[in-house]
Amino acid sequence: MKGFWHERNPGLLRTVEKEVAAQCSDLLVIVEEDTVRIRGSFPLMDDGMVLDRFLIEITLPPDFPESTPVLREVGGRIPWTADRHVNQRNGEACPIVPEEWLMWPEHESILAFLEGPVRNFFLGQVLVEAGRPWPFGERTHGVPGLFEAYGEMVGASDRNTILRYLDCLSKETLKGHWDCPCGSAKRLRNCHWDDLKALRKKIPPSVAGSALERLGGGTAS
Amino acid sequence: MDANDYLNRVLSAQNLGEDSTELKELQTHRAEVEKLLCASFGSQPIIRYGGSNAKGTIIKEYYDLDIVCYIPSDSDVAGKALAEIYENVRKCLAAKYYVEPRTSALRLKGNSPADYMRDFHIDVVPGRFTDESQTDCFIYQKSAEKCRLKTNLDVHIAHVKGSGVIDAIRLFKLWKTRKSLSVKQFVFELLIIDLLKGMKSKPISDQLLHVWRTISEQADPIHVEDPANPSGNDLTDVMASVWPVLRGAATDTLNTIQWSGWEAVFGQVAATTSFTIAEKAQRAAASVNTPNRPWCPKK
Repeated sequence: MKGFWHERNPGLLRTVEKEVAAQCSDLLVIVEEDTVRIRGSFPLMDDGMVLDRFLIEITLPPDFPESTPVLREVGGRIPWTADRHVNQRNGEACPIVPEEWLMWPEHESILAFLEGPVRNFFLGQVLVEAGRPWPFGERTHGVPGLFEAYGEMVGASDRNTILRYLDCLSKETLKGHWDCPCGSAKRLRNCHWDDLKALRKKIPPSVAGSALERLGGGTAS
Repeated sequence: MDANDYLNRVLSAQNLGEDSTELKELQTHRAEVEKLLCASFGSQPIIRYGGSNAKGTIIKEYYDLDIVCYIPSDSDVAGKALAEIYENVRKCLAAKYYVEPRTSALRLKGNSPADYMRDFHIDVVPGRFTDESQTDCFIYQKSAEKCRLKTNLDVHIAHVKGSGVIDAIRLFKLWKTRKSLSVKQFVFELLIIDLLKGMKSKPISDQLLHVWRTISEQADPIHVEDPANPSGNDLTDVMASVWPVLRGAATDTLNTIQWSGWEAVFGQVAATTSFTIAEKAQRAAASVNTPNRPWCPKK
């Protein structure tokens, strides 16, 4: 796929602009060179009232909406530490494991991203600032956290099993003669065939492939 | 509630009380900075406080403290050249802070694992007095065309404090913050003060509308003058670089007020309740339909 998403799909850019303007009037959609960014004051809403505000910048990746938007808190309020779920190297916030977001049915909507992971992330930050725990829990940092998320996605807990499931799901078509990823040594058609077909509806090959790539090519260690 | 009552409530909600966490933290860092500077340079530097706190324009949503560290004109305690003073002050502060060098100021951020890169909202501005009267000062301008700029903190503070339009300045600062406009605060303040000359006694809503209308109708940037250095600090380019964005935002805001009212610009003002923000956030979290857990790529 060549070019940037907003050049290939100007209609989607207009939708992004319209959604942001309608729901968060203090956020601006800015096209800078080849990158689309959303910048400004994010209102943390509850029941029609603003609880708090955070200065944010969201970068929409070149292949948006196939990849997850990148969130940064730019007001300097949140330290860049793993405990606050901010990458110390570049200040990128990690509100959600990217592939989890790509599985949300509304993942093409920037409004859903703002009202979902972004809002949940800042609700958590307000609570953590006040010395309270993360309201919905938190993923373990690094690769173990990815296995937690991907394990929940495919319904397995063993790392090798998760990798086999992801590998299977990353293929364009499922074949009944393959070994079942559950590790039973049976043919897929005689084992978890229906489950895999159901998973395929939730997890497209691109998402499974992205998960494998994030795990560094599929090592279970 | 009319527009002026509403705007006054917006202003009240932006007050930072003396016992607020934010101001207490600023005071703690202020003491720490003073300690570091005195440990390195002794009692010679004149350390004073500027910024929005000194000017009375502080708002809760965007506050900062400027600490100036001016060396007497006849002292070499922090170096001979301005660039040397700037660098030596930076090194001194780096013992305790992550120091982000800006054009003239050194922005202080956290450097310990628990608060790495957290912005403490403190700018330290090194400089040297021009003479023994200790009024005008030269400050270093990193990567600017002119590496030396004459300025005067007292003149700046007096200009803003004596403008009679502090409330309007605070609301425009809030507007600028919410819209993420990158116009330099001091330049923006000069513009507001100029545009509101002769309008001090007008209601606050009229003042705001007047400024937005003037900006919106003016195709070319409005010229403003630095009162501390009218001939030596040309702000033409600074204003020109932000004018199109500023003008666009002013036009949008006027349309927003016309079609959706003032609350669409500054938002609702929360009624005072006994619940803390954390308690409200806890209740809000309890009603989230699709929760998710944050993650971090590195341990």
